[in-house]
Amino acid sequence: MELFLFTVCILGILGLVGALVLWLTAEKFKVEEDPRIDLVEACLAGANCGGCGLAGCRAFAVKCVEQGSLDGLSCPSSGSDALARIASILGVEAPEEKMRNVAVVRCNGSCASRPRKYVYDGAQTCAIMDGAGVGTTGCSFGCLGCGDCVQVCIFDAIIIDKATGLPVVDTDLCTGCGACVKECPRNIVELRPLGRRERRVWVGCSNRDKGAVARKECSAACIGCGKCMRTCPFGAISVSDNLAYVNPEMCRACGKCLPVCPTGAILASFEVKLPKAETNEQSQNI
Amino acid sequence: MTQLVFSPSPHVHTPRTTRGVMLNVLLALLPATACALWYFGLPALEVLLLSVGTCVFTEWFVTKYMLGRPNTIGDFSAIVTGVLLALCLPSSLPWWATVAGGMVSIGIAKMAFGGLGCNIFNPALVGRVFLLISFPVAMTSWPLPDPGFGDADGVTGPTVLELLKHGADSESFLRGEMLVGYMGGSMGEVFSLGLLAGFLYLWVMRIVKIHIPLAMILGLAVVDVFAGFPIGLDIISGGFLLGAFFMATDYVSSPMTARGMWVYGILIGIITAVIRRWGAYPEGVSFAILLMNGATPLINRYMRPRRFSPKRKEVGA
Amino acid sequence: MSNHKTFRKGGIHPVSNKNASRIIELLPLPMKAILPLSQHIGTPAKAVVAKGQAVVRGQVVAENASFVSSGIHSPITGTVTAIEPMVNPQGKPGMAIVITASHEQHEADEIARCEYWAKLVPGESDRTLSEKTSQDEIRSAIAAAGIVGLGGAAFPTRVKLSLKPEQHPEILIINGCECEPYLMCDDSLMCTYPGRVVEGVELMMKAAGIDRAVIAVEDNKPEAAKALVDALDTAYDIKVEILKTKYPQGGEKQLIEAVTGRRVGSGELPISVGVVVHNVATAFAVWQAVATSMPLIERVVTVTGDIATEQRRNYIAAIGTPLSEFPFTLPDEARVVVGGPMMGKTATRLDAPVTKGTSGITVLGQTRRRPVQACIRCGACMDACPMGLEPYLLSTYGRMQMWAEARSAMVADCLECGACSYSCPSSRPLLDYIRLAKQRIRK
Repeated sequence: MELFLFTVCILGILGLVGALVLWLTAEKFKVEEDPRIDLVEACLAGANCGGCGLAGCRAFAVKCVEQGSLDGLSCPSSGSDALARIASILGVEAPEEKMRNVAVVRCNGSCASRPRKYVYDGAQTCAIMDGAGVGTTGCSFGCLGCGDCVQVCIFDAIIIDKATGLPVVDTDLCTGCGACVKECPRNIVELRPLGRRERRVWVGCSNRDKGAVARKECSAACIGCGKCMRTCPFGAISVSDNLAYVNPEMCRACGKCLPVCPTGAILASFEVKLPKAETNEQSQNI
Repeated sequence: MTQLVFSPSPHVHTPRTTRGVMLNVLLALLPATACALWYFGLPALEVLLLSVGTCVFTEWFVTKYMLGRPNTIGDFSAIVTGVLLALCLPSSLPWWATVAGGMVSIGIAKMAFGGLGCNIFNPALVGRVFLLISFPVAMTSWPLPDPGFGDADGVTGPTVLELLKHGADSESFLRGEMLVGYMGGSMGEVFSLGLLAGFLYLWVMRIVKIHIPLAMILGLAVVDVFAGFPIGLDIISGGFLLGAFFMATDYVSSPMTARGMWVYGILIGIITAVIRRWGAYPEGVSFAILLMNGATPLINRYMRPRRFSPKRKEVGA
Repeated sequence: MSNHKTFRKGGIHPVSNKNASRIIELLPLPMKAILPLSQHIGTPAKAVVAKGQAVVRGQVVAENASFVSSGIHSPITGTVTAIEPMVNPQGKPGMAIVITASHEQHEADEIARCEYWAKLVPGESDRTLSEKTSQDEIRSAIAAAGIVGLGGAAFPTRVKLSLKPEQHPEILIINGCECEPYLMCDDSLMCTYPGRVVEGVELMMKAAGIDRAVIAVEDNKPEAAKALVDALDTAYDIKVEILKTKYPQGGEKQLIEAVTGRRVGSGELPISVGVVVHNVATAFAVWQAVATSMPLIERVVTVTGDIATEQRRNYIAAIGTPLSEFPFTLPDEARVVVGGPMMGKTATRLDAPVTKGTSGITVLGQTRRRPVQACIRCGACMDACPMGLEPYLLSTYGRMQMWAEARSAMVADCLECGACSYSCPSSRPLLDYIRLAKQRIRK
């Protein structure tokens, strides 16, 4: 019994001394920090995705508190609720709700439309394959399909569709952080606003070759014919370097450009109910 | 129509493969293994086959059912581990102990760390030490050699190191008989000349470097000089040569630079000699190598290769 | 063991396979020449011809766009049919001038060309050439001829020779190592025109203001070394140094160490140790430019590899000739490498042209990489690395995207020789990831 008490006492004293040392050290080396930084950080998604352009969520919180406002800062991963909460912590007006961006893939060269001509024998990443040559197809602008964007996405929002060999973005999971945009060696992924009622229209091609050259390598390539540009009632489409571009600011997602495209290079996030196949054939005959 | 292949450079590769390296190691172990069979007969064959079989089976089982990875027994590294494990066991070991040793070697020392290339410790040695600690009696009963594939008739005797530990006169041993392996000991460690021949083959084939064995001998010699012990006898007795030539030089668990190899080897030699002279165990090679295996990542970190041009012009930050 | 010098650190001995014929033949001029504006390191050249314009053989079609740039000349007489993006052998588009010849022009060109090369027979040389020509004349001839380094890197020669005395150039090393397996273009050039090469070296010495030159040849080319020694002129301090064959001896830093024992620091240029390195083919091109006023419109190209013996040859080919014009038959599955197998790039577009830096076309047949296995930490890559790096570690940093660690492990020193990937028994793509890390930290 005596031994037991002795042990408990010694251990208890040791524990107390340890706690005291730790407490003193913590006091001595305490860094004065704005408590709001922790509060702000708690509101953030905590994904450290780098979508804000800073080195992580902590850096974002420090920057917010330092400048005392959310001007020029935005966190794509946390959403507008979190930003409103941060604004109230900082004591500023909540920023007006901006439309969320999502990633879109500007390549539609599936296995069917873009024949695989060459065999690649090397490390299976897009960056290395791009350095070694044109890719397994003849298109020097299109998706290489090794999935560097899939690897880099911390939200698991991108997968490679086995049937087409192309990346598919899950818009519910995508936060628009832009990691994939930075990663893609061919700059195929683009951030575009989610769109009203999630209706988006974009050109599913990045090929800047002349129409005939592009078409030879991929039947779904944009050939820069400009039909979509002439069809668009809002003047949202422009063509430069043999490639059409839909300006998301002006596009109202009416979908009129889709059926006129002779190669089906324009993609939409919604169904366009028009006799697409027939139009396609007609324009090919011209 | 020609199928064009494209790839990053270089476009040609060495004919040497991992499997080829392992096959060469097996070839180099052939003299010692043959000698083990010649001296210890059928029981030795049983230990050898059981050990190799268990190692290969464990690797196959773990990759297939536990890791769900592609099978890696094709690189033959499990066979090498099996042979090495068998060579450092006594031929009289019961079958279940051999099987347990093989399972520990591959299952715990190798696959649990992630398979070939990821293990910190030499798998065969982990197996041996596991057996030595778990079944000390079975692991220290050494059948006496009975040349001509005899089965040693169950006659056991102490090893040279055990005799020395108990105060025998170091001059009383016949060096000539020891060199050809006519002494008590584990299956593979007795035939010093065979081990040397195997190692020289690997060295000539540029598969292993000579640094580690030389450094080990150096380390051992330094301690022996201080302890006043005959160096030659120390080298050819016990598992020193088997350890120096085949265990310590294992790629995965040894340092990669020449400088690192010197440090590693010398320390193994010193630790071995210290255990042999002053430790409780008569033999210390396995422990010494395992200890230094643990230090290998540290050695690799500090013993970097010398750069071609160490000067670094500050390129704008 | 030979007592020939070599570089000390690392290096490998791949099977040399230098089995093409050393006789240099003229490849017929192409009907259509494609001249990419960026055939050299530096700014792409600026086109000075317009579409539809008639040009003659040797006429300037593009000129220097900046200090580090090089002019381009038409290899054929004809009409400019396009100035537009054309694919390179890797299938990547880049601006190029396309010149098309008519049949009569083509024949006339071909005759003139045969006469020109017939006149360059060995032995008939003018040893006073470099005395007669002033330094400025040589430099301007080199600039006007659009000469770039013909060893592969294609750095403008004019820039490399424009040295100031305060840089203290002491030794001019002429690289005749040709350490790449398969390739033989420099070997055949040295054997066929040794006198011209030596005269070119003399001219380069004068242009750079250097008194001492060393022509470095590996000991697997004894014929070339002997031919050069026989062609030497005692009036100049030129030595032929025979080096022990080892890859990558032709790497600039390795070659300087092998010849002089000096080591160029990390991130520094050879001139920091008083050395300038040029290729033998460049020396020959300099001689052509000064002695015959011939711009760089043709070069020696080796066609070799896993093709029929009689197709393995060395050609004098016009720059701009599509790869498909070379007579070789591909096996069923082939890797067509532009350059040698260690550092060359694979081509997928055979309609793309030969450029100034194309030293050879190596066709490799059954050479798929073996499946990647785990690293067994054997250290073969470290033993092979000529820069004393740790390729296994750098490659892991590249794969794990640890760019800062890669930078501090001096990934920038890597010369991409491929010795690490070559030597790996587990067939790991070491250089692939190291190159990726290099690209990322440069950004």
